[in-house]
Amino acid sequence: MNFTAKELKALALPLLACVVLLAAGTALIAWTQQQQRAAAGELSAAREQLAQARERLLRIAEEEKEVKEKLEVYLRLRALGILGDERRLEWADSMTRIRTQRELPDLRYRVERQRLISSVASKPSTVDFYASAMKVELALLHEGDLLNFLADLRESGNAYYSVKQCSLSRTGLASAVAGLAPRLRAECEIDLITIIDRAAKA
Amino acid sequence: MKHILYFTAADHYLYSWAGGRLELQARFPGDDTGVMGFREYLAGRRGALFYAMADIAGEDFHEEQIPYLRGGDREQVVQRRLAQRYRDTRLSAALSLGTVSGERRNERLLLTSFTNTQQLAPWLDALTEAGARLAGVYSVPLLAPALAARLGVKGGRAFVVSANSAGLRQCFVEEGRLRFARLERTVDMVPDAFAAFVRTETGRLAQYLATLRVLPRDGSPVQAIVIAPPGQRGAFERALVSDARLSFITLDAAEAARKVGVKSAPASAGAEQLYLHLAVKSPPREQFARREDRRSYYLWQMQRGLVAAGGLGFAACALVAGASWLDFSGMLGETRQLRAETQVAALQYQRITSAFPVTQTTTDNLRATVIEFGNIARRTAAPREALVYVSQVLNDFPQIELDSLQWRLERPEERATAKPPAGAAPAAAGEVAQVLELSGRVGAMRRSDYRAITAEVQRFAGALRTDPAYRVVRTQLPFDITSEGTLSGDIGTAAETGEAPRFTIALARNVQ
Repeated sequence: MNFTAKELKALALPLLACVVLLAAGTALIAWTQQQQRAAAGELSAAREQLAQARERLLRIAEEEKEVKEKLEVYLRLRALGILGDERRLEWADSMTRIRTQRELPDLRYRVERQRLISSVASKPSTVDFYASAMKVELALLHEGDLLNFLADLRESGNAYYSVKQCSLSRTGLASAVAGLAPRLRAECEIDLITIIDRAAKA
Repeated sequence: MKHILYFTAADHYLYSWAGGRLELQARFPGDDTGVMGFREYLAGRRGALFYAMADIAGEDFHEEQIPYLRGGDREQVVQRRLAQRYRDTRLSAALSLGTVSGERRNERLLLTSFTNTQQLAPWLDALTEAGARLAGVYSVPLLAPALAARLGVKGGRAFVVSANSAGLRQCFVEEGRLRFARLERTVDMVPDAFAAFVRTETGRLAQYLATLRVLPRDGSPVQAIVIAPPGQRGAFERALVSDARLSFITLDAAEAARKVGVKSAPASAGAEQLYLHLAVKSPPREQFARREDRRSYYLWQMQRGLVAAGGLGFAACALVAGASWLDFSGMLGETRQLRAETQVAALQYQRITSAFPVTQTTTDNLRATVIEFGNIARRTAAPREALVYVSQVLNDFPQIELDSLQWRLERPEERATAKPPAGAAPAAAGEVAQVLELSGRVGAMRRSDYRAITAEVQRFAGALRTDPAYRVVRTQLPFDITSEGTLSGDIGTAAETGEAPRFTIALARNVQ
């Protein structure tokens, strides 16, 4: 059947209606399926959240015990000044005080800039561990001075002192010649570790 | 609403049809004044849908055979045969009666047309001019097979006899196909006389068909379905007595209308109401109008088809979308419920944790801080312990003089990158170890007494192994007695010069 121009014109509107209806139907399917996918995602997330919430509830007794135990350590860290910003002035004070108290002939130190320690992946983003490397050179009368120095440093607080290495060598001066002159020389590398907890209340 | 133009020899009736209800809209005389009146009626009804139903005498039926063909070839042959048979083919049709198998396969056709098409032509022209859509031109016989089927004829041969406004209509149907029909004029008669007339005419038709050998002379009686006018069934049943040739079944007009599906019809309408209803409700494929007369109807059908296809497509899409939506709604509801349960669990957790000691931070941070700090602390050590241990061992070796001590922590990652010194024992993988390197000399022994010096250093190294926690990872003796090393000596020199030979021992102990 061949159509005249008039007949084709008469068919144009129904054809347009057909196309529009089909397009609307397709769009309707696409939209509802998009909504369905989004809802499926939300449902999956909600299921996971509920599972986590229930698991936390189940573990709450353990958690209470854990909180009590860990809180003790946490408060100790705070009291020691390990938790919080670096206190470089306090560190300098401690070094001066130890040198005076232990009557160390010579004590030199150098603290490098602070760096972030790479930590466990699962840790909350509001807790970071930092370390500042310190190099110490000591002139010693005897070996015990080094051990005492390290013990005093640890007791002084304001950071956690992680000794990386220490070398002890003779200065070469004979005791009879030098009298109270230092006979030993020590060099140590120590990390001064501090913790920043941004969620902590002042 | 659909319109049906019902042609009889005398007058033409215009009915409207909607939902099985027939209403008489107008009645036109069969002459030119009728055509004019019809034209007036059509004014303002452009696009209206019309069916034409002819119930007139002078309808020709002629059986022919054509080669078994399909598609355009068949159409061409059929048109040629119609043109050969009828002078005016404007209103003609070819009804297929099936195929016959002989030397070659042929198709049986029943060619049919009106002997005087001019009585219908002006009315069809009026429809075309008014822009009305002609669905088709049918005759009462064309609808007889459909009526027979509705009235319960399953197959075989049957007469369908009805009292129409045009007269007594008799149609002969064989295996669901029309074979012959005739219209006999009637006059007003009492029911008994009319029933006797029907009996006589039906017998005559049967006799005629037997003469033509359309009906076998001997055989079982042929079913004759007679639709009696309202209130005349009793008279018909009395008159229509079955015999060896005919087996009569009489139906009341109202009962027939119910079987066909006519809900209401004008009281003046005869049995034609059944055919009129079927023309609209189940029109046969074959009809008399030419393709060009039905062109606007085809166009209308295509328009409707397109919109219907769009509508169906949209409905199907909406169905799919509805299913998705139902699923979506279900998921939304489930999500809401899960969130509510999560909130309840969170509140319960919050209520319980509020009774916990004041932590000054979040529980997660508290846990992370302490655990991580513990990890760091476990991976550190102080040199005191190792130095004290060496000091204790040295008490038993007064000849050993240490020149230097080097203490360091070795982490697995550092060990992996650092090349181990020659002679070093491998450290346990993955563990932090403190390593203490001792460098010294053996005093109070002659330098040339290398056996004694070596033995003393080896004894010292052995003593350092006393505590199983410590292991000697490297020993560098004052004299290299290994096959890989270089051994040198200065024998015979009068006086011993230079320093005592040095040794190095590296001790290691795991931190964790």
